[in-house]
Amino acid sequence: MIKVEKRNDISRSIYFLTPVLAIFLTLFGGGIIFFILGFNPIEALKFFFITPISDLYGLSELLVKATPLCLIAIGLSFCFKSNNWNIGAEGQLIFGGIVGGGVALLFYNHDGFYVLPIIILSGAFGGMLFAMIPAILKTYFNTNEILVSLMLVYVAKLLLDYLVVGPWSNPEGFNFPETRQFSESARMPILFDGLRIHAGIFITLITVFLSWLILYKTYLGFQIKVSGLSLKTAKYAGFKGKTMIIIVFMISGACAGLAGVGEITGPIGQLHRNISPDYGFTAIIVAFLGRLNPIGIIFASLIVALTYLGAETAQIFLQVPKYTGQVFQGMILFFLLGSDYLLFFKIKFLGLKKNEL
Amino acid sequence: MNTKLKVSEISKIYPGCIANDKVSLEFGSGKIYALLGENGAGKSTLVKILSGVVKPDEGEVFLNNESIKLNSPLDAKKNNIGMVFQHFNLFETLSVFENLSIDSDKKDEELRELVNDILKKYNFKIDLDIPVLNLSAGQKQKVEIIRCLIRNPKVLIMDEPTSVLTEQETDDLFISLKQFSKDGILIIYITHKLKEVLSLCDEVAVMRKGKVVSVSNTIDEKIESLANKMVGENLNTIKKKINNFKNSEEILKISNLNFKSDDPYETNLNNLNLSLKKGECLGIAGISGNGQNELFQILSGEIITEGTSIMFRNKEIGKLNPRERREYLMAFSPEDRISQAAVPELKIYENVALNNFKSSNFFEKGLVNEKKIKEHSKKILSNFSVNTDNVELKSQFLSGGNLQKLIIGRELITSPELLVCFNPTWGLDVGAINYIHETLIQINEQGKSSILISTDNDELLKLSDRICVIYKGKLSKIMNADTVTAEKLGILMGGGSID
Repeated sequence: MIKVEKRNDISRSIYFLTPVLAIFLTLFGGGIIFFILGFNPIEALKFFFITPISDLYGLSELLVKATPLCLIAIGLSFCFKSNNWNIGAEGQLIFGGIVGGGVALLFYNHDGFYVLPIIILSGAFGGMLFAMIPAILKTYFNTNEILVSLMLVYVAKLLLDYLVVGPWSNPEGFNFPETRQFSESARMPILFDGLRIHAGIFITLITVFLSWLILYKTYLGFQIKVSGLSLKTAKYAGFKGKTMIIIVFMISGACAGLAGVGEITGPIGQLHRNISPDYGFTAIIVAFLGRLNPIGIIFASLIVALTYLGAETAQIFLQVPKYTGQVFQGMILFFLLGSDYLLFFKIKFLGLKKNEL
Repeated sequence: MNTKLKVSEISKIYPGCIANDKVSLEFGSGKIYALLGENGAGKSTLVKILSGVVKPDEGEVFLNNESIKLNSPLDAKKNNIGMVFQHFNLFETLSVFENLSIDSDKKDEELRELVNDILKKYNFKIDLDIPVLNLSAGQKQKVEIIRCLIRNPKVLIMDEPTSVLTEQETDDLFISLKQFSKDGILIIYITHKLKEVLSLCDEVAVMRKGKVVSVSNTIDEKIESLANKMVGENLNTIKKKINNFKNSEEILKISNLNFKSDDPYETNLNNLNLSLKKGECLGIAGISGNGQNELFQILSGEIITEGTSIMFRNKEIGKLNPRERREYLMAFSPEDRISQAAVPELKIYENVALNNFKSSNFFEKGLVNEKKIKEHSKKILSNFSVNTDNVELKSQFLSGGNLQKLIIGRELITSPELLVCFNPTWGLDVGAINYIHETLIQINEQGKSSILISTDNDELLKLSDRICVIYKGKLSKIMNADTVTAEKLGILMGGGSID
């Protein structure tokens, strides 16, 4: 007879080791999939996970992808830690991109050191504003934030579509659905010649540090922690629940908005239909893989970024569709949730009792 | 159709709590049985065992002298045991008929015919084709009952069925239940409402602390006798020295306070009036579920009322939240120490930081002052003899008694003028109970006031200077504790009146 029991205490090291286990299981599962597809699993995994980062360019690409993922996931951790389920980071990213991009277009042919900071701030502001919609609806009208934030993703996507096809499309662009290229002063500075890695990484690192500070050293962080563990206790302690919900959504939205504006002023340089390969959704996986912990999220963002790169290499060398990347992301989440079960419960194998025979 | 149901030596132990301790009971069809007890007395566990939701650690259930295994709710259904839970399990957006057909293996036409027969037989008036969300609570309950009747139950268990019903709906329910009983269905009725037991049931079993303490015919019982059995008869004669507070300063005054809840499972409070003098302990007795929860939350600020309805040291505090009330030197110890007063996953010092207000300086300019919180926590651990000195320990490793000491310590170390506590010794061992009682007497001696909401009459008579009883959201007259007897409390707790 098998019995499942709740564990009384979870050791901290195991808590951070299970994500590593999940990653190994993902590699194993991926190997099996490649084997079924008729590839040598070791070779295929090498193409997927080693080849992409075996040169400097690859490493830079890894950081380019990890930059927005980490930023969004950090923001989401504020929401998730306090039991607010913001699923719409993708929409907040896009809306941040739209506002930032709009300002960048406004400053077209403007030079000056002040241009980029204004664009970045307006992007963050845009994301924040967009995230406040589900927050306000939740606090004052009791709506479900999961649905509202998710639906708003499609609103933002369609708005972006409309803008790049219609009013904001490039007048010299032969009707391609894209805006003008932003001017030089509206672009993130490139860190090394010939590589795409840009100054956005510093924004991410500063945000990580600030988040750590807020989550672990401030009254706001304490309130977030308590509310996440027990809303009854938060109420008893007299925390202002509504204000806190709005604040965590604002932080989360601002981070997603920053990620959006970082993309369009960084590697992309203009607005078009696909400014994000679902970074906002993938960041949910990153946040949980990193255990909602700022340092954990840095590592998690690098690993998940690698699945984006691996998918591209695999497409070139193995002729498998690049959606393999999403398969791997899905597997990471799957195995993480699976190993979490073992984290919170232990399985006991008991001998058969007489009366059960 | 004669049905006999027997539970024999049933035990169920949860970590830290014996929910059922060798419970043995016998039931036979044709009678309505009441299972009476306080919250936490073990009724729900026993019922869950009978409906297959929980498996007992020991003991057996016999149906018509045959031992039956109830490993899942499905087994209960197979053995024709029907159960109507306090919280309904219906799909609100589906129609009544769809709800009934979900777990039925009959064909739709057959089922409809059967349901119509049941409706006619028991004179239920329910439209089968409207969505459940359009039904009143009483009608929803009827749908749940019909769902059981479809299966020709031998046993029907009703768990606190009247908590969401109006008086009229309650009367209707009783008529139906009596009819079912006549038709040979064995009915087990779980409640903590004494009047219902007397007006509906034939036999009553009283449970307390996991044990069956009495089984008797209801004609031999009165409200007071049942109330005493529920809360314990062995009234302790040791009382606190009662002081006269006539000339003391009034510290708290509640006048004409009303609370109406949107939640049908909560109790409304009607026209509350009370006042408290400096250094006095006011005890509030009552059977649980009569509005104690709501009263506590109104005092703590979790429920906010009109500013003027609560005056504390001549300030209007009705609109303030718990944190703001702490600034005025109020302190609160809720009933639920594990999921409300403290968070088990948090470390001791983090739980201490929950009692935070401006002058505690735990958070300065929005930043955590960890050193200050830890110093403060160490002081609490040693002053209130909690059996650890490690403030980094997670609270889940403290026993109930030590956790309660930590909570009371946390609330008292700021020298509040008023402590409101709700069942502070619930589930604790004798040593911890004595410690908490001594502490509560001590604060009165230091001139601080306290309000003790408790379902334990021993405790109330031992600690209070004045006592009143809460019944259905209304407070009785406030009496001096030395004039109060167990009989008087019993009458008031059951809704009776005394001169």
